[in-house]
Amino acid sequence: MAPTVRITRAPIDVAKVLRAVRDPSAGGMTLFLGTVRDRNEGRAVRGLEYQVYKGMAEKRMSAIEAEVRTKWPVRKMVMVHRYGRLRIGEVSVAVAVATEHRADAFGACRYAIDTIKRTLPLWKRESLSGGGEAWTKGEPIGA
Amino acid sequence: MKVRYFALARELASAESEAVTVPERSSVRDLARMLEEAHPALSSLRGSLKFSVNFDVAEPGTALNEGDEVGVLPPVAGG
Repeated sequence: MAPTVRITRAPIDVAKVLRAVRDPSAGGMTLFLGTVRDRNEGRAVRGLEYQVYKGMAEKRMSAIEAEVRTKWPVRKMVMVHRYGRLRIGEVSVAVAVATEHRADAFGACRYAIDTIKRTLPLWKRESLSGGGEAWTKGEPIGA
Repeated sequence: MKVRYFALARELASAESEAVTVPERSSVRDLARMLEEAHPALSSLRGSLKFSVNFDVAEPGTALNEGDEVGVLPPVAGG
């Protein structure tokens, strides 16, 4: 079976993510995709480079999955986050959840992506359209 | 122990990782002070830096042991 959490340099295959959460007992699936935006804090951005503390990020993601599964009756769940250089519009993160009923799929997916953003050791370096690069302002990592 | 630096901390320390020896019964707070002495530029991140010990976010009072891997983590921005 494919791993349910993954930190990868390779492009995210969204169809594959959805296939991985298909389940005959599920009445619904939610999919969240995070994409690289062309602006940040009023500045035009050409692309991003994600840096990750891979071992820690994988451990955190597995913990998030375990936590989500204690809060919602999840049938299947997949989380993938990319690192390395990404272009505008590329998918940087995918969360897919399959549950018996839709309310749980929305709740679990929302919680997972919010917790990914708050607690994964990841950093973005923006390539600015006017030239130069800058680290995206973030928040202290949450436990 | 092994100390790994990320993002802006990596630039300020001019290192990706380094081997550090701390006195017995040192805490994360003690290590932070040592690292700032060794790399004064890191002081610009004082107050916003967090540390991990063996892949878990640590508190300033967290005790350190030989063989630990410590991450020096500036504010994060994933997603």
